Amino acid sequence: MPRSKPLEDPPSTVVQGRFKVGDRVRVKDLPNLFYSRTQMYVRGVVGTIAACTYQDLIPEDEAFNRSGRLEQYYIVRFRQKDLWSEYPFDQDTLQTESPERWLEPADK
Amino acid sequence: MAPSDLRPQQELIAAIQPALHVPQNWNYEVDSPLYKAYVHPPHDVGGQFDAPGVYEEKEEEQWELNTYVTCEVLGWRGVWNSEERRRRADNDLGYALYLGIPYYGRWILAAARMLVDKNHISLAELVEKIAEVKSRYAQK
Repeated sequence: MPRSKPLEDPPSTVVQGRFKVGDRVRVKDLPNLFYSRTQMYVRGVVGTIAACTYQDLIPEDEAFNRSGRLEQYYIVRFRQKDLWSEYPFDQDTLQTESPERWLEPADK
Repeated sequence: MAPSDLRPQQELIAAIQPALHVPQNWNYEVDSPLYKAYVHPPHDVGGQFDAPGVYEEKEEEQWELNTYVTCEVLGWRGVWNSEERRRRADNDLGYALYLGIPYYGRWILAAARMLVDKNHISLAELVEKIAEVKSRYAQK
């Protein structure tokens, strides 16, 4: 029986970002398995795109030495009150970084 | 290790298992018995005390048989061997998973981790597939 071969890394490509500054997005709550950089406290919470930063490998690929597939990264801004129900100040925000695959339009 | 040292070492290993809470926070002072307890292989449980429990005979469930066959087929195809399977499922998962999930749950987690490590599937694909299947079941 032939031995199974690992996959080849896909060729590196430039991609078109799906979101623009000001868009409302919700962070997906994908299953935690082996590695994730998406914090539990932002999952399922709606925020606003504050900046479209750069294209890079996604953590799930880079952590296992896969390369090639690039994705748009965003800075997402959340209201602290949306993250922590007991947070006392209305105006405070928290920003964090996310690749596109972890975000979906908030109206979805 | 001298027999007289064995009992304290086994008690130390048992004491750092997740079921018993021992305060610890990146200790700077790790003496030799404690170091050996930290690096002790989780599946080498001989001599350690356990809480009383009821053991029941149980038929294997379909998912367990599927897991067994999947892991065997991955062996036939040369993707891993039985010692690597043991290393991943009995050792690499760590105490919390070793003690906390069913026997074949450890096998399937080990198989998934191996396929990701060896670049047969990507973690992103796997996680998104799991999410898709979960949502399909949730709709039923």
